[in-house]
Amino acid sequence: MARTDRGRGRLAVAVSVFGELLITAGVVMALFVVYSLWWTNVLADREAKRQGHAVRNTWAQKGPGALDTKDGIGFLHVPAMKNGEVLVKSGTSTDVLNEGVAGFYRTPVKAAMPWDKQGNFTLAAHRDGHGAKFHNIDKVKTGDRLVFETRDVWYVYKVFAELKETSKYNVEVLDPVPKESGVTKPGRYLTLTTCTPVYTSDYRYIVWAELERTEKVDADRTKPAELR
Amino acid sequence: MYGWIWRHLPGNAWVRALISLVLVLALVYVLFQYVFPWAEPLLPFNDVTVDNGTAVNK
Repeated sequence: MARTDRGRGRLAVAVSVFGELLITAGVVMALFVVYSLWWTNVLADREAKRQGHAVRNTWAQKGPGALDTKDGIGFLHVPAMKNGEVLVKSGTSTDVLNEGVAGFYRTPVKAAMPWDKQGNFTLAAHRDGHGAKFHNIDKVKTGDRLVFETRDVWYVYKVFAELKETSKYNVEVLDPVPKESGVTKPGRYLTLTTCTPVYTSDYRYIVWAELERTEKVDADRTKPAELR
Repeated sequence: MYGWIWRHLPGNAWVRALISLVLVLALVYVLFQYVFPWAEPLLPFNDVTVDNGTAVNK
C-alpha cells in the first residue's frame, strides 16, 4: 500500500473506484459512437468498393448476360445524395446491408426488378454507419432524378413522393402499387427506405420514384444527362 | 483502480507509460473487433427496413 492510502477509509477507496468505473463507462460509450459512425463506414466502404469492382469486372467480360444476383445487380446513382454509386444486392438482411450496399426486398413484399414490365423496385440501405448509403435521403426532393445502372441499361427514375416519417411496420409502402404515394395504377416504381430521424431507427423514411425513360449503355458507358 | 494498476506495472515511469498505452490499444482493439459488433444488433440504432423480419408481421 502506498503511503497516501494510509488513513483513508475503505469508503474513500470505494468511491474512487466507483468514480473511475463511471469514467471508464463514459469512455467506452464514446468509443462506441466512434465505432458506429466512423469505423463501420470504413469497413463497409472498403467492402462495397471491392464488390463494386468485382461486378464491373464481370460486366466487362463479354459473355452471356447471366444475372448473378448474389454479387449485385447494378448500381444506384442518386445525384441529390452526393454519395457516388451504391451497389445493389439481393436481400435486406443485416449481413447484406452492413457491406455498405443497398439491398432489394425479398420479404415481406418481394421487389420487382427494374426490367420487369411493372412493379415496385424496393430498396433499403443504412442511414448511419455501415456505409451510410442513404444518409442524405432527406436531400432527395420531388422532381429529382435517380438512375439505376445495370450492365446494359440506364434506368432513369423521377421522384414523385416522399414520406418523411412512417411506422417501421408500414410494409404497404413496398406494395407493387404503393397507394400512400398517391399512385393508383400499376407502373414501374422505385422505392427507397431507410431509418429516420438520423442516428436512430424509430421511424422509416420513404422516397418513391417512377421510371421516366431507359437508355442503352454504350461502349464507353457514357453517363446519361442526369448524372453529368 | 487505475492507480493500483499503475503501481503494479514494472519499470520506471516511461516503461509504465508504454505498457499502459499498449494495454489501452489492446482494449480498444477488443472492443472494436468483438464487443461492439456483438452489441450493435442488440441496440435500436440501425434498423432500416420496414417490418425488418424481427417484428410481429402485420
